[in-house]
Amino acid sequence: MKKILTDKPTPQNVKAKTDEGLVAMFIKMTPEQRLTANDNAARAILELRHGFRQTRTSAS
Amino acid sequence: MDSDKPEPAHLDLSALLEGLCKEKIAFILVGGLAAVIQGAPITTLDVDIVHQQTVENIQKLDRFLKSSDARYRRPDHKDIRPRTDDLKGKGHLLLTTKTGPLDILATIEKGRNYEALLPHTVEIEFRGHQLRLLHLETLIALKKGTKDAKDLQRLPILEETAKQLRKTK
Repeated sequence: MKKILTDKPTPQNVKAKTDEGLVAMFIKMTPEQRLTANDNAARAILELRHGFRQTRTSAS
Repeated sequence: MDSDKPEPAHLDLSALLEGLCKEKIAFILVGGLAAVIQGAPITTLDVDIVHQQTVENIQKLDRFLKSSDARYRRPDHKDIRPRTDDLKGKGHLLLTTKTGPLDILATIEKGRNYEALLPHTVEIEFRGHQLRLLHLETLIALKKGTKDAKDLQRLPILEETAKQLRKTK
């Protein structure tokens, strides 16, 4: 059963909403693979934020 | 880390870690990236380290920061570079480098420094170097008393990761 983390964790709900499958998938990777995945994700986040800022700038 | 720097193309936290290792700087990787390496499926945009504050190590770290074009991360974008003496203090240096943000911490929760954290670390092989990181169980224990919203949100993910790691031992 897939469980999803919400934006507003409370002591009552956080435990039940962790994505256990995602954790299992990440544990299977090597440390180097995990670092690469994080680097790629971080770069993607920055690129998307950059695009978002550009859109807002050109709209104003 | 919401400023324009570093540019996306320059962000390479693995390279930043490798650079620290290459210079044989004594440090413990703490924070989100230490959790990522140990299997936590989270994303982090910076490298957090606790450094050993010996004269020799501070010199090595200072050289690395100069070669990495390190500057303080500031909302006003003023161009201020860290000084050698800053690395001797008890505070946190929140920097940006050419390969990504680097937080250099003299101590973390409840004043724990490099020596205090050392027994709670694990070493892994990383690109031909030994990389020392804070053990996931210790990270969780230290974060349990936090009031930081980001840390609180991550805590259940770290706990689930630790739980699954214990099962796979």
